[in-house]
Amino acid sequence: MPSTTAAAEKLLLQMVDDYTEREISPQDMPMDKAGDFPAGFIQKLTDTGFLGIMLPQEFGGAGFGPEVTANVLNHIARGNASTAVTLEGHFKTIDQILKYGTPALQKALLPSATDRIFAFSMTEASGGSNPMGIGSTATREGDHWVITGDKIMITNGGLAQVYCVLVKTAPKELSVFVVDQDMPGFSFGKREDFLGLKGTPVGEIVMDHIIVDDDHLLGKVGDGGLIGDSAHDDARILMGAVLTGIMEHDLKIATDYAKERKAGDTPLTDLQVTHRKVADIAMRKETTKLLYQKAAQLKAAGQPYSEEAAMAKAHGSRAAVSAGDDTLQILAGYGYSREYPVEHLIRDARAMEIAEGTVEKMRSAIAKAEFNK
Amino acid sequence: MKIVVCIKQVPETNNVKIDPVTHNLDRRGLAGVMNPFDKNAVELALNLKDTTGAEVALLTMGPDDYAESVREGMAMGADSGYLLSDRAFAGADTLATGYVIAQALKKIGDADLILFGRQAVDADTGQVGPIVAEFLNQPQITYAASLRMSGPNEVTAERLLEDTKQTLVAQLPAVVSVRSELNTPRYPTPRNIQLSFEKPLTVWHHDDLDLDDTRLGQSGSPTVVTKVYAPKPVKRELTPLTGTPSEAASQLIKALKERQLI
Repeated sequence: MPSTTAAAEKLLLQMVDDYTEREISPQDMPMDKAGDFPAGFIQKLTDTGFLGIMLPQEFGGAGFGPEVTANVLNHIARGNASTAVTLEGHFKTIDQILKYGTPALQKALLPSATDRIFAFSMTEASGGSNPMGIGSTATREGDHWVITGDKIMITNGGLAQVYCVLVKTAPKELSVFVVDQDMPGFSFGKREDFLGLKGTPVGEIVMDHIIVDDDHLLGKVGDGGLIGDSAHDDARILMGAVLTGIMEHDLKIATDYAKERKAGDTPLTDLQVTHRKVADIAMRKETTKLLYQKAAQLKAAGQPYSEEAAMAKAHGSRAAVSAGDDTLQILAGYGYSREYPVEHLIRDARAMEIAEGTVEKMRSAIAKAEFNK
Repeated sequence: MKIVVCIKQVPETNNVKIDPVTHNLDRRGLAGVMNPFDKNAVELALNLKDTTGAEVALLTMGPDDYAESVREGMAMGADSGYLLSDRAFAGADTLATGYVIAQALKKIGDADLILFGRQAVDADTGQVGPIVAEFLNQPQITYAASLRMSGPNEVTAERLLEDTKQTLVAQLPAVVSVRSELNTPRYPTPRNIQLSFEKPLTVWHHDDLDLDDTRLGQSGSPTVVTKVYAPKPVKRELTPLTGTPSEAASQLIKALKERQLI
């Protein structure tokens, strides 16, 4: 008999596959065309308990660990990457509240994470990968903090109700606070019109003198850089999982088509040029899967995983763009057509060469980790 | 009120192979899932649980790994599960299966309503539910497309047949097999999947039940499968409709009239 953990993961992934096939995959193309989740889509996802997959059971979640959580996003992304990325943004935020939130904040906030979406916001017009370039501030006034600033390009921005925000508490000091859309002074700005991941809302929040107490501070004053890095690391594992799912989608499209299509009298499956492309897609998919799963295993074991998480994202994002390109070439005109999903899989994958730190920044982090060994 | 839903684990594929020696389904190496029609029965039981506070138990017969489907049903919301598993039960036909399930139901006791899916998608017989009803000497309603409690000890069901509908009333305890039109089964939530492992799953072997050994397994099965084959596809003549849509419609009407279909 398998262990309870293995049996629960098997049952969970069976449910996820069933849900993805019936509820998510049919929305993949409509979502890309409409540029949004369809009405009721997020509510159904919420009602089925997806938001609480990695939330500890004491807060009303399912309490699955990092490996299972990443595998769930992998399976969802086989049907639609936007849905998986929205959950990625939610999970990485919960992770930081679990790591750095006070018990009082966790108790007050986390039970609502099963039916409210959370988001982590760092980027501003004046700084993305350079956090010290941001202009948002939290100023101490009496026994509370006053937060002012403008955050852009937030995954789930506009959809989420709870936001972790990176702000300056001194000219060279970064801190993270938690704010709620219901707080006075909170408003939404514009939604981005991005190239891919069209379902996932990416938008702006405006904070105009939002007042919070000390319990809304994650970690200590000045821990902002640390917490931001931690959020990136957790997100990068999940992005590796999403990218693996995109490549599995590519591989299915490429092999299904090759098995049906002939070039003249020769089936595509008999052509070496097809063999090379399909083998490359399969190898890219498998290496990305190994990378994200290794990073998730390290995280579950309480060991450092920053470098492996960066590898999963840096390798996986370029691999998925290339896998999409090869799939498009196998399908030729059909691959280039917007009536078929291949072209949007490339656009979806391309987002992840930028989001959660550019691949250039990933490579610097990986190289520095190697120099330090 | 106590409801027992009898479920079966079936191969997760449409490409079922037949064992060339026993002529039974060869399930080796195939991943198993809960029979889809049984999920409708579980959903019905859970709806009745929501409205009447009924206790819902699941019952299945098969190898150890059939516990996965019981666990899935408990993750959907059932309270407990029973797995009947013993080498002595292997190779049973519908009669031998129905006998062991009926004996287990007697041991569970006090079931007001016993539910089945209309049939299993692997063997497609639809016989085990009615056989169990006969063994228990209880009223039965098969192919129910709707069901409601119409009294404290009474259910009313709409029975959907190929070209007719029947409304039947049965006094409890009763056995009902259900169609997929009845409802849309809920998904087990991730949290309930975890919590399902804290619910009781009882495994009963041969010696746990009061059984007549001559009625068990392959030797206790009167059904002898002599041959199983896939029917050859029939090639039919195709007559394309041609011309403008109006001309094509005229051709279609003419063809249907010639065959006295309209």
